[in-house]
Formats: sequence, structure tokens, C-alpha cells
Amino acid sequence: MTDPVLALSEARLTLAGNAGPVEILRGITLNVARGETLGLIGPSGSGKSSLLMLLGGLERATSGRVTALGQDLTAMDEDALARFRRGNMGVVFQSFHLIPTMTALENVAVPLELMGAADAFARAAAELDAVGLGARKDHYPAQMSGGEQQRVALARAAVPRPAILLADEPTGNLDGVNGTAIMELLFGLRDRHGATLVLVTHAPELADRCDRVIRLRDGMVEGETGSIARPAAGMQA
Amino acid sequence: MTLAWTIARRELRGGLAGFRIFLACLALGVAAIAGVGLVRASIEQGLVEQGAILLGGDAQLEFTYRFATPEERAWIDARTARVSEVVDFRSMVRAGPAGQEDSALTQVKAVDDLYPLVGQVELDGAPDLAQAFAPKDGLPGGVLDKALADRLLLSVGDRFNLGTQQFHVGALLVREPDSATGGFSFGPRTLVRTSDLANSGLIGPGTLYETQYRLTLPPGADLQALEDSAEANFKDKGMRWADARRAAPGVENFVDRMGSFLVLVGLAGLAVGGIGVSAAVRAYLEGKTATIATLKTLGATGPLIFRIYLMQVAVLAAFGIALGLMLGVGVPVLFSGPIESALPFPADIAPYPQPLIEAAFYGFVTAFLFALWPLARVERVRAAALYRGDAGTRGWPAARHLVAIIALAGLLIGGAVWFSGLWKIALGSAGGILAALLVLALAASGLRRAARALARSRIMQGRTGLRLALASVGGPGPEARSVVLSLGLGLSVLAAVGQIDANLRAAIDRDLPARAPSFFFIDIQPDQIDRFRQRMQDDPAVSETESAPMLRGVITQINGRPAKEVAGEHWVVRGDRGLSYADELPEGTKLTAGEWWPKGYAGEPQISFAAEEAEEIGLKLGDTITVNVLGRDLTARITSFREVDFSNAGMGFVMVMDAAALQGAPHSWIATVYAEPEAEAQIARDIGRQMPNVTGISVKEAIGRVTEALSAIATATAWAAAATLVTGFAVLIGAAAAGERARVYEAAVLKVLGATRGRILASFALRAALMGAAAGLVAVVAGGIAGWAVMTFVMEVAYAFEPVSAIGIVLGGVLAVMLAGLLFALRPLAARPAQVLRSAE
Repeated sequence: MTDPVLALSEARLTLAGNAGPVEILRGITLNVARGETLGLIGPSGSGKSSLLMLLGGLERATSGRVTALGQDLTAMDEDALARFRRGNMGVVFQSFHLIPTMTALENVAVPLELMGAADAFARAAAELDAVGLGARKDHYPAQMSGGEQQRVALARAAVPRPAILLADEPTGNLDGVNGTAIMELLFGLRDRHGATLVLVTHAPELADRCDRVIRLRDGMVEGETGSIARPAAGMQA
Repeated sequence: MTLAWTIARRELRGGLAGFRIFLACLALGVAAIAGVGLVRASIEQGLVEQGAILLGGDAQLEFTYRFATPEERAWIDARTARVSEVVDFRSMVRAGPAGQEDSALTQVKAVDDLYPLVGQVELDGAPDLAQAFAPKDGLPGGVLDKALADRLLLSVGDRFNLGTQQFHVGALLVREPDSATGGFSFGPRTLVRTSDLANSGLIGPGTLYETQYRLTLPPGADLQALEDSAEANFKDKGMRWADARRAAPGVENFVDRMGSFLVLVGLAGLAVGGIGVSAAVRAYLEGKTATIATLKTLGATGPLIFRIYLMQVAVLAAFGIALGLMLGVGVPVLFSGPIESALPFPADIAPYPQPLIEAAFYGFVTAFLFALWPLARVERVRAAALYRGDAGTRGWPAARHLVAIIALAGLLIGGAVWFSGLWKIALGSAGGILAALLVLALAASGLRRAARALARSRIMQGRTGLRLALASVGGPGPEARSVVLSLGLGLSVLAAVGQIDANLRAAIDRDLPARAPSFFFIDIQPDQIDRFRQRMQDDPAVSETESAPMLRGVITQINGRPAKEVAGEHWVVRGDRGLSYADELPEGTKLTAGEWWPKGYAGEPQISFAAEEAEEIGLKLGDTITVNVLGRDLTARITSFREVDFSNAGMGFVMVMDAAALQGAPHSWIATVYAEPEAEAQIARDIGRQMPNVTGISVKEAIGRVTEALSAIATATAWAAAATLVTGFAVLIGAAAAGERARVYEAAVLKVLGATRGRILASFALRAALMGAAAGLVAVVAGGIAGWAVMTFVMEVAYAFEPVSAIGIVLGGVLAVMLAGLLFALRPLAARPAQVLRSAE
């Protein structure tokens, strides 16, 4: 059996709130295989996005272990995590999070520039073409619709050919048409580049396309299924 | 570095909208320092360029109490084709009908036909001096300063007396080319021909006058060689040399010190600007949290993020400093005409590089010093900030950033010490500014805590407006800190200036006249002193008269070494000093060491030296002092030290010798008279009539002239402090603008809950008043401490807290914050709740 690309072992996340500590995740143990598409679903406040952040090294587990591509993320500091994400992980956010003072081309080129790639702009241009925005290279985020901004964000996440793609409700702020388009692009990227995809979503049609879906409630895994139609079985915290 | 610069450039595309206050604060501070420095350099250049005109020649030899001997004159004549002789002394001008004469103190300049050797005299009423001096009705002509003529109600053609010689007013003096080198004088100028004073009884043995021999030299003459030759030839003859290379050292020193002092005040302005810089950078970076977190998500490390934003700050700082330099150069150059006319000494206003370099240095160091703290925390922004509001930037910056901040502070202080040359004042000012900032930061923190606690207390129940204001002051956000720090520092500088000015005026205007005599009489001849004493004794309005013989001499050597080598620039060895003699210990004199000579002593000359000045120079009992009196060296041994209080404007001599040493030398007497104010005019008239050669200096008028000079200095300092306030106001505006959005939201919510606009406005006004009052109160305390320190350690005069200016400061602080706050209250008051709350979702 090959090593999992992503693995959590009794991972907990506790954050300080105004009324005292709040347990967001309560001991999650989870493996994600190479090339797998994993969906994370659950009601609002169940910890889906926080789990995604742990997997991406964007949040540090309070206890337990998180490994990605064989590296222990819990042993790394902020800068080491940032360096690890370069080229290894691509993240797509619900609110796009494009840098407003950079054009579409520059936004897509940034991860390659951080990697020190000499052909950053050429590759970025090609990636924008692949998502259908070749003509909007020199436009700023403020000049684009939500759908277009999300496509730029997708291109930015995919351009370094990361082994792992993380997407947090990528269609959450988009209408039906745009959402579908984004969905197609996302899975198309996954298929073309063979990345492992972890996806937080409320949309049943997106969850249906995942190889595996994990349902979370109150910071714990409530159930795991090949689709959201079948009830929980197997791993529970 | 390249990637950081690439990303920084992209970020700067966002425009300068968030940096207007940053630029304004930096530009104002740099402009003030550049402007002051430029004017100082302009004056220094003017003094260099017009040295010969200021001096009245290329070189000058000056003697006290005598004319040059024939041999000395021959030496001078052999070295130049043209020599002009000038005699300078104090006297009384008298005018008016007999029995109703009025008199006024004047500084007389008696000249020969060659005067002025260089430059032009501007007259009103005659085309030139020859015409003004021309006799009329058998009387020689004289030129009076306009102020003097006005004082005595004289016009051209009227008559006046100097000593026993009558003159007619040949012209009024508008401008004399060599006035700046004369130093501070107690009386306006009178110009006469030297030969016309022959029968005046004013210039004779023992009377106090100075003669100046001004020479013109061929171009390229070696002034240093000539000076060396003169010093050698006139060694021990009491000659003082000056030349066009440094024509007005007194003016130069004054301008240099004043300029340095004003630059230090300007640094306080830059410190206030630094607070604005820090606030602007913090606000900007808070707005960039999402971008920074995104960059971190994409793989940017903390140090890279730091470099990106550091470069942006550097570019903006360069822009702000360039703006400041343009302003600092542009304003003086634009107004060069009026400025040059208004100054009493020459100035050549142009963009000199040195002051601009100094201002740019201060600007850069200040910008980075104040920007570094918020910048350093940007490294800590976590990627998780994209999901959570908490960016994780709280806490102290990394150790290396703290070291850099300390190093920058050291560089700023070191620069101030080096550029100003006044290390004690520079360090004191820097320490004062740092201490004030610390106290203000603590005060701001204390104000917020107190406001928070009060807002929640039972006392506030039913006082909604006040409670809202207190809750707002104590709430999160940097507004209270920015306001208290920026306004507080500006007000502290103004408060300090106000306290020092008020105390100095009190010392001079109020305290001094209580102890000072009514008159100082000089040039009383030995055959007049008994009559003089009798006149005062017979007057019941005179409570006390003191008199002493006086000569003037120059200290040339101490223990056989040149005096300036031993005493440096101490005032005792600069120029000539009053010297007296006494056989017995004068009444009321207190010896601090040594012994007075016995009565009738006629041995080796002995000196009793002023104790404080002796300690400052490092003199001991047994040391020898060589004084040149009337061209002759006299060496005496110090056998005692005396307490001398120079602050009471009474008689006080640095050196008193035994009678045998000086009695035979030509000399005159001086006297101080303490009389009732109502009797002063009669005393002046009587002495003027009976002893026309005697000069009476009204101490009140002299104090008035000193006060005028101090007022001018205080005004200049207040203007420099005002630049600090303008910067502080800019920071206030920035803080108010930054808080406007929050206040719009606040006002919308309050309206939903039932608050009227009047209540909301009252809450805003109260909040502003609280912050302004806090800033003003701290400023008053800081200003009081600064005033006490300056009066006690620098002026060595008693200090008393001055309440009027202090109250003005507090009220001013409250008004300033209210004005700034209310400027940005209009939008919140007009906000429609539904619109605001919908857009916030």
C-alpha cells in the first residue's frame, strides 16, 4: 500500500474565543490517497474549512499530527510551511483572494515567481489560456466578474502543478452557470495533472463527483461514504 | 531583493490614497527643518560675501580707550593706501529748550572723511555724509538714527547737544553698512565727524571709547599673513584684529546657535510627523492583511513580506521627503526679497546643499524609525487570517527589528548632536522628546483604560451621551493613542516655550527692576565724582548711590600663556572687561578665598577675581593675570576670590586691583543710583546740564531693549513650534479620517436604536474633548518640567509655573481635536441606516 499523500492522526484544533477556548476539531484521523478526490461536507460550523486549513498548513493543529507528502507539517514553523506550499499545494478560496493590485497574469505568476521559475509569465499566460481568460491577462480583479476571478484563482492554484489541490467552497459565491463552469474546470485540472483534490462543498453535485466524502459534525467525523446518499460507516472519531 | 521589489511595485499601483497623511507629516517636518537650515546658510553666506562691507574694510585693528600711537599709525599706513579711523562710544544726546531739555542714550560713531571705506550710508535729508556734516550757522552737522530723532522730537535742521558741543541735524540715518558688527547696543546711532568733537569734552583720557582702524587691501591680499604680522607687532598692546573672513563673529555665533536651536525644535515636529507615519503605515498594513495572508498561502515567507512592504515605505518616504525639500527650498526662495529685507544682516537666499542633506537625513531616519514597528509585525500575519479576523500580529516585533529601531533612534540623536554642534541641548531635547512620547503613550493607555472602566460604571447610567463617548475613547482602534501622542507632543513643545518665555520675562520685567538701580552713570571724571556724590546725597528721593573707579582692559595672558589658550571662549577673555581698583575691601563684599591687601598697599600688583568665573576658567590663588590697559600690559597676582552677582544689574567687576596698581592711569568713574521712579527724570536732567560729558543709562530702558530682543527670539521659537502643531493637526485629521467609516457605522446603528443626530453629535464632540483635554494636560505637565529644567540648569534663574499659557494650551488642545473630529462628523450624521447596514453585510 502506498503512503497516503495527506494524513491526520488524532488532529485537534482549539482556538481562543472571547468566552474561552473553542474546540473546532476534536481528534480527526484521516488518510487521503494519491490522486484521490475527497469531499468534506457538513453543517455550518462543523469544522470543514478548519480541517482544510489544517491539511494545507494554513492552520496549526493544537495536538496530533498532520503530514503531507511525507512531511510532518506540525513540526514546521510559518515560513517552512509557506515554503512547503510552494509548488506542492494549490488553494482555491470561496472569496477568490486575488491580490487587487496585480493583473490576472501577475496573480497567476506569483507562485511561480516565489519558486524562482524563470518562465513564470509564459507559464502563467498558458494557464490563463487554459481557463479561457487569455484575453483578460492584463485586467485587474476589480475589472472582472466573480466567475472570472475564480477562474484566475483556479489558474493560480494549478499553475505550479501541485501534488495537492485544496478548494474551500469554490462555487460558494457564484451563480449556477458560473459555478458549473468552475466545477468543470476544477475537475478538469485534477484529471489533467493527476493532483489529489480535497474539496469543501455544500453542493451535492460536487460531492457526487468525489471519490470519497467525509461528513463532519461538531468537529468530528460523523460518517464517510462513497457518496452522500449512503449513511456513515467505518472511521469515526 | 528583485522579487520583493517586483511585488512592491505592483502593490504601489494601489495609489497613494492611504498615504496622504504619511506624506503630509513627513513633508511638513522636512520642510520646516530644510527652511530653517536654508535661511541660516543664507545668512552665513551673506556674512561671508559681504564681510568687507559689514566690517567697513578688508581688515580692522581696534583699540580700547585710546587712539593708535604715531608708530602704530605708521605701521598701519605702510600696509594700505586707505585707512579710515572710527571712534565708537556711548553718550547722551540732549535737545529741547533750556529747562525743558530731554536726553536720550546714543551710541556715537565719530568718523573721518574716508568713512565708509566700503559700502554706502543711506540717509534721509542729505545726499551724502559730507553734506550732512557740513556746518550751518557755525554749527557742525550730525546724523541721528530715525528712532532717536523721533524720541527727541527732532527733525532735519533742529539742534542737539553732545557733551558741550552743539550740532544741527544734518540728516536722518536710514541704514549704515557696518551696523551688524557693532553688536548689541543700548542706544540708537549718532554719526558725527571726529574733528567736530574736539570741544565736546567727550573723548579724553579715562573716557570709555573704542577706536577702529579700517583698511582696504588690494585683491588677493594675504589676510592671514597680515593678521600674524599685526599680532606680532602689536603684541601686548591690547589690539584686537578682525578681517573680512569673519567680519561679524558675534552675529555668526548667534545665527548659528539660533539656527541649531530652531532645527532641534523642528525635530520635535518631525517626531510628531513620525507618529502620523506610524499610524498611516499601521492602517495601510491592516488593510493589506488579506493580500499578505494570500501571499503567505502562495508561499511567501515572513522576511519576504517584510521586504516587500519596507520597500514601499522607502519609496513613499523618498516621495514625501522630496516634497518637503521642495517646500523647504521653495518658500524661502519665493519670498527671498521680503526675507532678505527684513533681516538685520545680509542673507543670500539660495538652495544650499548642506541644509537639504541634513533635512533629508532626518526625514529618512525618522520615517524608518516610526514605520519599523508596524512593519515588523507584518511578518507575523498568518495565512489563517484569510479565514479569521485575527491576523496574529499582536506582541513585540522580533529581536532583530527591536535592535534596528534602537539603532535608528541612536542614529537620529547622533545626527542631531553632530549637525547642531550643541551636544548638551541636542541630547537634552532628544531625551525630552523621548520622555514626552513615553509619558504620552502611557497617558493614552491610561486614558483608554479609565474611559473603558468609567463607561461601564454605574455613574454613567442615564448619561448616555457621555457613556457613548467614553466607550468610544476606550474601545479598540488606535485613534485615542494617535491623537494624544501627536497633539500632545506638539502642545508640549508650545507649553515649554510658553513657560520659558513667561519665566524669562518675569525675571527681567518683574524681578530685576525690583533689585536693579534706576541709572548707570559712566564717564564721570575724577574731578566730578565728589560733586556727583553730593548731588545724590542731597536728594531725598535717592535711596542709595554706589560708585567705583573704572578702566577697561583686555586680559591678554594667564600665567604667562595667551588668555584664549587657557580660558577658551569664556566671556571674560572675549573683548575688553571693566576693571576697578580699591584700597579697602568695599562694603558688602564677601571673599570666598584668599585675603584682601592691607590699606595703603603698594607692592606687587594684586587682583581680587570673581569667584564663579575663576572656577569656570580654572584659576587658583597665586595665578597671574596680564591685563592690557591703554596699550600697556599690567601683570598682577590673584590673591583673593570674591562673590559677584551680575544678575542684579548693579555694579560688579570681574577684576579689582589694589589702588596703587591703577590709580595713576587715566580713568573715569561709574556710579549706580537707586531712586524713586518719580525723581528719575529730574536726576537725568540735572546731571545732563551740570556734567554734559557724563552718560546716564536708564536701566529700565535697557531692560526694555533686552526684553525686545528676547521677544523676537521667543517669537521665532514659537513659529518653529507652530510647525510642530501644524504637523500634529495633520495627524489629527488623519486619525479622524481613518475613524470616519467606523463612526458612520456607529451612527447608523445608534439611529436604528433611537438616537437623534444631536445626541450623536454631542457624543462625538465629547469624545474629541476628552482626548484633547488628556493631550493638553499631559502637555502642560511636560512643558512645566521642560521649563523648570531650562530655567534651573541653563538660565540659572528661579522657576515659577505660569498658569495662563498652560490653560491656553489645554483649551487649545480641546478645540483642535474637536475641530478635526467635527470636520469628519458630517458624513456619519447624514448616514442613512438602511443603506449603511446593508452594505456592511
